[in-house]
Amino acid sequence: MIASYSTAIPESNLLSRWEVRHKLVGLLALIFSFSFIRELWLLPLVILVSVVIYRMSQLSLAYYWSRIRLPGLFLLMLALMLPFGAGSTVLARVGPLALKLEGSLSVLLIAVKFLCIFSLVLVLFAGTPLQKMVGALRSLGLPALLAEMLIFTNRYIYQLLTDLRQTQVAAGLRGFKGRSVKALKPLAYIVGTLLVRSHNQSERVFQAMTLRGYGEESLVLRAEQVRTFDRLALVATLLLAAGLVFLQFFFFPTS
Amino acid sequence: MHIPDGILPVSVALSGYAAAGGMTWLSLNRINKKFKNPRELIPRASLLTAAFFVASLIHIPVPPTSVHLILSGLMGVILGWFAFPAILVGLFFQAVMFQHGGLTTMGINACLMGIPALLAGALFRTRRYFNAESKVTNGLLAFLGSFLAMGLGALTAALLLIYTIPAKLDVAAERAAIITLAGAHLPVALLEGVFTALVVLFLLRVKPELLEMEEK
Amino acid sequence: MSSVLSVMDLAYGYPGQAAVLKAISFKVRRGERVGLIGPNGAGKTTLFLLICGIVSAESGNIEISGCPVVKGRFNPTVGMVFQHTADQLICPTVREDIAFGPQNMNLPVAEVAGNVDRAAGATGITPLLDRVPHQLSSGEQRLVALAGVLAMQPELMILDEPTADLDMRYRRRLVGMLKGMDQKTMLTASHDLEFILEVCTRVIVLDQGVIQADGEPAKVMANRCLMEEHGLELPHSLTAAWHRHGTETDCS
Repeated sequence: MIASYSTAIPESNLLSRWEVRHKLVGLLALIFSFSFIRELWLLPLVILVSVVIYRMSQLSLAYYWSRIRLPGLFLLMLALMLPFGAGSTVLARVGPLALKLEGSLSVLLIAVKFLCIFSLVLVLFAGTPLQKMVGALRSLGLPALLAEMLIFTNRYIYQLLTDLRQTQVAAGLRGFKGRSVKALKPLAYIVGTLLVRSHNQSERVFQAMTLRGYGEESLVLRAEQVRTFDRLALVATLLLAAGLVFLQFFFFPTS
Repeated sequence: MHIPDGILPVSVALSGYAAAGGMTWLSLNRINKKFKNPRELIPRASLLTAAFFVASLIHIPVPPTSVHLILSGLMGVILGWFAFPAILVGLFFQAVMFQHGGLTTMGINACLMGIPALLAGALFRTRRYFNAESKVTNGLLAFLGSFLAMGLGALTAALLLIYTIPAKLDVAAERAAIITLAGAHLPVALLEGVFTALVVLFLLRVKPELLEMEEK
Repeated sequence: MSSVLSVMDLAYGYPGQAAVLKAISFKVRRGERVGLIGPNGAGKTTLFLLICGIVSAESGNIEISGCPVVKGRFNPTVGMVFQHTADQLICPTVREDIAFGPQNMNLPVAEVAGNVDRAAGATGITPLLDRVPHQLSSGEQRLVALAGVLAMQPELMILDEPTADLDMRYRRRLVGMLKGMDQKTMLTASHDLEFILEVCTRVIVLDQGVIQADGEPAKVMANRCLMEEHGLELPHSLTAAWHRHGTETDCS
């Protein structure tokens, strides 16, 4: 199950129109301020901020659900283990296991932060085309080599994925099932073949690119025009983030 | 051994970013010193990064279930200093395409996979002191490197998780958690090792240049 | 003669698109070599995927030697050589690659070796058995891929664009080899009409998801109007015949 890099937020949306550098810094500041929270009483505020921003993005709940399922598994595992493992105040006994208060509360804290950060990550990526995202990262100091690798890798992931599927289909037609331990060697061959093919292809790609002048110009970055709205939105999110950190730090310094 | 958002304290997440930044700087520095025109290598590094990304999606059977491999050891063997940037790129796409999130923890995750990857690569390149063409040397070094890489990464991740969980664990629970996590990762690390050795032996026969890119 | 392949009222469409195949029916008898021609997007590859059980049909059914095709179930009675041989060759030596199918069929070791030798002999690649497939020329790779399917001794062999990446020499070799396999039942799609004309005993024209013509290659493919109507053209070697008939008429 793989979701392509798609921009699910309509272009007309405020969050899509927000200049990418400002959006990146603003939302990242919020995300980090969320992960700074250690006090349960601040969680409603975190939830409120996330819900408001997610609603503004016009993304549907179904979209959230479709994306959370996989990473949510980790959370589920934690939620099953931690309440029984951590803490000393016993809330209830389930057979040989003791449900403990501290463990349950830390699951609550982790889960809320995780789910809220996740909603902001969705908003950030679903409203920004990759090219613009990389451009913004580049102008914020990402090394050129990494920026170019991001663009290139993105271009070939889908093609290689198709190649791999085709290879698996071809192997399947020759009776390969890939379900027993014996499958390890053919699978290693398949991965090896994938590496050899992509290496060979990279040589052809490089030759074709040199012919078209690669090595001369660098990744073209067009700076977007920054409007007052972009700056105001950034200031607003930074203030929100600072506010959350302030509340955590000054009102609950011990927690 | 992919640490998600919301668990680690900000201090750890930010230190992770700082460390990853340092490692990236070091890698790029080495790449620039080593190659006259590093930009020429970008298509190859990127296509291989894409290939590793795609390969990590393959279900590897461990009856009755199946797992995904990380292949960080193999990345170190083939990509050398490019392994760290490649892992960063891979994590970025993981965050984007599966929307795993993992944005706050991207730095720490990059270190957990990238540093062991570089070590596995370095270990593999000691083959020049042995019989560099023999199957045994190549297979053994590849196995050891990626087994240790996976083990090291998983162990560090487990320790980080256990010691930074908001509620305090008692000593017994702590020990139990470490043993459980380590025990769960031992078979996976073995599998990574065996699989990497198999791929390396395949490449040794089919395209040895792929194992020599860092040795030139 | 018994039919090896029987396709009945087969229909298929990709989600959200117009139907690719609309109620197709045909039978292939043992020993027939059937060429499938038609413009790009006519549904040739989709038909192959259906016959191999990679995708399942919307309606209708497919039987190979009397057994219905079940999606996802390994069926060694049908073998397919892919258009891109790189998708198919995965092993470090030619020998291992040819043995890959028979091994998965759980044949005894001696039988696997026998099949490999016979398939390599039939395709003339015995000298290549210990080479690395990835280092061979595309012509040689094509033959290795073919041998890998032959070694499974399928009753029906499917070839998708077998001449696409071959030079003249390897093309001739392939033509000679396929013509020599009298008893093999074959279904091949190709844009190389001369190849179809030379190798096949029967041709099916597929366009817009419907069988437009089905018959003897020299007759069907000599019909210029039919061919042009379906985005094809008269094979060069048949234009002379066309002129002899003096039917220099307008097709419209």
